[in-house]
Amino acid sequence: MAKQYALDDASVVVVIGSGAGGGTVANELAQKGIDVVCLEAGSRLTLADVENNPPAMDAKMGWYDKRIGAFLWVCKTVGGTTMRWSGISPRLQEHEFRVLTSYGQIDAGTSLIDWPVTLEELAPYYDRAESKMGVSGTHGIPPSEESNNYKVFKAGALRAGYKQVTSERLAINPVARDGRPGCQQISFCHSGCAIGAKWSTLYTEIPKAERTGHFELRANSMAVRIEHDKTGKVTGVIYRDQGGELHEQKARAVCIAGNVVETARILLNSESALFPQGLANSSGQVGRNYMRHTFGSAIAVMPKPVNLHRGARQTGVLFDEQHHDPSRGFAGGYQLQAIGLNPHSISNSIGDWGTGHTEFMQNYTKLAALFITGEDPPEADNRISLHPTEKDANDLPVPVIEYRNHANTDAMRDHAIAASRRIYESLGATHFWGGDAPVGCHNMGVARMSADPKDGVTNRWGQAHDVPNVFVSDGSVFSSSGAGNPTLTIVALAIRQADHIAERMKRKML
Amino acid sequence: MHDSQITRRRFVLTAVAASTVAVAPASWLPENIARADGTDDAALTRLARLLFPHAGLADTVYADVMEILFTTFESDPAKAQLLDTAASALDAQVNGNWFDADEDSQISAIRNIEGEVFFAAILAGVRGIFYYHPGVWAHIDYPGSSKEHGGYKHRGFNDIGWLPEGE
Repeated sequence: MAKQYALDDASVVVVIGSGAGGGTVANELAQKGIDVVCLEAGSRLTLADVENNPPAMDAKMGWYDKRIGAFLWVCKTVGGTTMRWSGISPRLQEHEFRVLTSYGQIDAGTSLIDWPVTLEELAPYYDRAESKMGVSGTHGIPPSEESNNYKVFKAGALRAGYKQVTSERLAINPVARDGRPGCQQISFCHSGCAIGAKWSTLYTEIPKAERTGHFELRANSMAVRIEHDKTGKVTGVIYRDQGGELHEQKARAVCIAGNVVETARILLNSESALFPQGLANSSGQVGRNYMRHTFGSAIAVMPKPVNLHRGARQTGVLFDEQHHDPSRGFAGGYQLQAIGLNPHSISNSIGDWGTGHTEFMQNYTKLAALFITGEDPPEADNRISLHPTEKDANDLPVPVIEYRNHANTDAMRDHAIAASRRIYESLGATHFWGGDAPVGCHNMGVARMSADPKDGVTNRWGQAHDVPNVFVSDGSVFSSSGAGNPTLTIVALAIRQADHIAERMKRKML
Repeated sequence: MHDSQITRRRFVLTAVAASTVAVAPASWLPENIARADGTDDAALTRLARLLFPHAGLADTVYADVMEILFTTFESDPAKAQLLDTAASALDAQVNGNWFDADEDSQISAIRNIEGEVFFAAILAGVRGIFYYHPGVWAHIDYPGSSKEHGGYKHRGFNDIGWLPEGE
């Protein structure tokens, strides 16, 4: 069962974070017999803690430490943001691995690079990730069941001339699998799945790793700094426990997966005489090229009841607009995804007040809604940095998050909103609203993989260019954002990274 | 086809800080709202109804929402002055007592201050309480928690019957 390692045991790999990236890389290493200590800042919930109550669950699992600037909707809990995610699991497409080649450099402000990994190389890892997570429509798993909101979305999309609409690609069990039940269509996916039908590392990767006898989870342990020796090799991680006490866990290698803000912060906060700009930051790229996605929402009042609150939160994807076609007036593409939102989320999306807003709310049972997610070009000035003087409750420099939508993003969103309007109007929608959705739930790029060490922070394995025993294992390594939800790609990259680490260890290179 | 006149919201790049500028008490914000006795306040109820005007929804629901908001704000030093600030700003917009103005003037006054940081905090506060209020949920047929009923797997998640078939 779960093991305990001594603080001075320098043979362990320390993984920071237990979400999609951290939980996966930790379990994959433990399955190979490699000893792992996983430091998780949040606490460990059980399924019994999951309520159908978004504010209560935000309080239990949300990350609300002090941050300045753009908001990120992420989690501080064992399982990380896999507790809150919707489960949509599309692969990146071929052109999205080669954005500079495919689109060219968009303008002087953008910093596009191609991935140092190809779709062909990643395909076997996508296979393993889909199987691990139980993605519907793959590996003999049936498609997800079609909810009312999805059926409206699909029927409207077909009428509007679209073809590639599917209820597949959801990492929520349509039927029981891997010791977890099938979806009961509870509808509160964003507050944690109360029955564990949705893949989350809390009740998949973490207990599986514990059963190997090669893994220790330390919850309520906030990593604050990474230490190194005089050669620049990393030797341990300092963390603060629940009582506020600092400890150092010695390490053979460190995998960082704290979601973009914490990943950037711990690298920047680990500055030293040898690494004056922060660990792994000789390029100056740590924290830069922060990408979200082109986000948006569309909400329509349909002629008859839909009851979009019934069923899994997000239940289908339209892929027709994901290709690159510059005649649309922007680079890259987007997806549309049916989404069922509760009344507060609908109201908050629309954002306004008064009679126009309330017309939608009064017709709540007739609403249909979708979510827009599309490619967001990297810009060096969209970045996460540390406040020069202000400290938080952990005595860490407060992160400053600067993020602006690019004109390409605005043009893409306008196109997606027009497409959404056609979809719902084709079925006789009486009211339509479309707009931005600054939710900050897909976070990428602040330690990106690059072929040239000058352009990024990590190499094609997510290994720091500057420090060979430091790895980044979350969405921070994305060289570009692609259009779709990042979790499946994070998991595929983490599986691949664990293989690489094990192989390097076997060859005594780590 | 109706289009709501809603401007696209943009990212806020700086932290939202509550306004702490001292203001004179508004003419219509009565002392009695501070009493924790459930006393209705007509002006706050009016404000809530203009923000989210659901026809047929009882005043008692709006009053309850505003009382929760008031209590929440009162316990937070950063927010304690927000309602006073808003009330004074609304009065200034109508050059008198906002509550006594006609409905169009009341709405225009709110529109004119909606870009203010203090108003954004109030709007977010009212929205958060209002659209989680059981009285509002009942009014718009939203049932809330479903796990104790086994979700919607056997309760109509896919029961839609009016869509075109076989196109």
